[in-house]
Amino acid sequence: MPVLPKYMKLNLDRRIIFILMAIAVIFPLVFKLGLPNKVTPEVKNLFGQMESLNDTSVVLISFDFEASSFPEVQPLANAILMHCFSNNLKVIGISLLAEGTALGEKVLKENAAKYNKVYGKDYVFLGFRPQVTATILALGEDFHKVFPEDYYGGSTADLELTKNIKNYKDISLIISVTDGDIPFSWINYAVARYNKDLAVLATAVMATSFYPFLNSGQIKGLVNGLKGAAEYEILLKKPGMGARGMDAQSMAHLLIVLLVILGNIGYWMERRKK
Amino acid sequence: MDLGTLIAAILTLFIFSFLYKDNPFYKFAEYLLVGISVGYFIVISIKTTVVPKLIFPVFREGDLLCLIPGILGFFMFLRFFPKLAWLSRISMALIIGAGAGVSIPAMMQAQIFAQMKASMGSYASINNIIVALAVITTLSYFFFSREHKGALGTSAKIGVFFMMLFFGATFGYTVMSRVTLLIGRAQFLLGDFLGIIK
Amino acid sequence: MRRQIPIVVCFVFGIFMLAQFFVSHPLLTRGYQNVLDWMQIIFVFALLVGALSFLILHLDKISKQQKEWGYNLVALAGLAAMVFLGFFKGIQKDSPFLWVFDNLQVPMQSTMFSLLAFFVASAAYRGFRARNFQSVVLLVAGVLIILGRVPLGEMLHSKIPESATWILNVPSMAARRGILIGIGLGSIATSLRIIVGIERTYLGKG
Repeated sequence: MPVLPKYMKLNLDRRIIFILMAIAVIFPLVFKLGLPNKVTPEVKNLFGQMESLNDTSVVLISFDFEASSFPEVQPLANAILMHCFSNNLKVIGISLLAEGTALGEKVLKENAAKYNKVYGKDYVFLGFRPQVTATILALGEDFHKVFPEDYYGGSTADLELTKNIKNYKDISLIISVTDGDIPFSWINYAVARYNKDLAVLATAVMATSFYPFLNSGQIKGLVNGLKGAAEYEILLKKPGMGARGMDAQSMAHLLIVLLVILGNIGYWMERRKK
Repeated sequence: MDLGTLIAAILTLFIFSFLYKDNPFYKFAEYLLVGISVGYFIVISIKTTVVPKLIFPVFREGDLLCLIPGILGFFMFLRFFPKLAWLSRISMALIIGAGAGVSIPAMMQAQIFAQMKASMGSYASINNIIVALAVITTLSYFFFSREHKGALGTSAKIGVFFMMLFFGATFGYTVMSRVTLLIGRAQFLLGDFLGIIK
Repeated sequence: MRRQIPIVVCFVFGIFMLAQFFVSHPLLTRGYQNVLDWMQIIFVFALLVGALSFLILHLDKISKQQKEWGYNLVALAGLAAMVFLGFFKGIQKDSPFLWVFDNLQVPMQSTMFSLLAFFVASAAYRGFRARNFQSVVLLVAGVLIILGRVPLGEMLHSKIPESATWILNVPSMAARRGILIGIGLGSIATSLRIIVGIERTYLGKG
């Protein structure tokens, strides 16, 4: 029976694996590999739907994420906001999670500034509301009752963009940028009850949960993870945070697959030995 | 480099130090994070919800109906006083009862009828047959009223096979998410902090 | 009375919110809108109760000078600083409150979660074993998604991303659908039990 090399033994110090992981991520960031990225039909589909909206369309973007996943959702949020503003769509930003409030405001303002958009006319930010179910249902009844004021204390009845918004009928598309299961509530309440179109921009970890709704047509578009953001950037012809990270993502994935293979070889050889 | 980037980088390294082993720097960052998060939450909740939805309507507009949720909300704090703690149950009961009431038709429409309808398409394509088979067998796995023997047992076993594909796919995507977060932090340290990458 | 009143409240509001879905009347709609508004307000207090218990817990540890109480002091200092900055200096862009959020909370929180990338790598090496048929299925699906959703997969073989897309859109989607329908049925049953007062765990003891 062959003697197992040390790297195949299962008691390998985990800190060696940690160092390998750090190298797999850092190396491609410093020395760019330029691996080609292909656009998937799901991303093309949402992009096409966004293109079909016109400059009278109002898009409600809900920043349903927390600070913990910001590096993953920021490229997604940037991509969709760039698309909205470059096509002169009107954007209303809200958040159903407290931490998404400050982060949502940040990305919204940054992207609006890139396109010289005017607050109150081209976009507004309304801030946070707790109790997801009640908020989503209430927005379908009386928008101003849910958000009497914007994030900065201005009356939503006075802002040019929001003064005529009564409920979901005045919104063309809802987009939930999320790291959790809040889109389930958007589907259960805004889509099912008010027949509203919804698109989901999710972290990869949540993606598999939304495929049944994409298949059933309950959500109109699904873009997920850094890869989704990178694909959207290709369609926008504006390579950004998503594209920059794809080489590192590829290398780290390769390392993990190699670790799975090595671990399994070690496991099978030890089993045969026994 | 500005002060904010320097502090963010130091705290990032404090947390990464946990990879070597648990240590006081990591613990310092951990407790600081928890404290700041709770402080942030208190401010955002009060300033963007309690003030515009409760304080202003009651005191500026004299909308006394808003006193009802205000009082019920106050009841929540009575949990800290054993003799009056039961009053907080009334507030909880309202939220849970109303939530249960709205969820029944919503679940029925969005998660049962719509999903079942989507599984009953044309069976001319092999994929549609696989979808129907996977939905039925997965559901049969959760049928606990009878022992998983015979036809039900076989169906449940096929269901497990499809669920393993789902769990595997979810694992793959979980890896992707976690790596992305690490890339984000590496980009910050190498770019904003050290200026090695753009 | 301590249990009956909440059960009655739960029943009344549960039935009311269920009924308004089927019956349309202006009075009912107004009541429905008010209840939705109340839910938001009450819920935020429920969350603030959590924040208050956090404060009490840490104050208690500090007052008793329990082991490593200095860290509890750090947590309270962070909380106090945010509350002070938020209420006295505002929460608008470029405020000190958001400066702390951007430069302390966001980097620390995302770093905390990025640690998982290292642990996932370690777990992939140690725990992701092809022990039986089921684990082989799980492993193959996992590896195909890991490779198929990055540009590298396309470079290795064009069938890898194709297989990943197929798994996501057909068997994995369908299994998730089965689970969703199961959860939906379970949720409806639980909701009904809550409304009629059979399920009372939310009341706690006493």
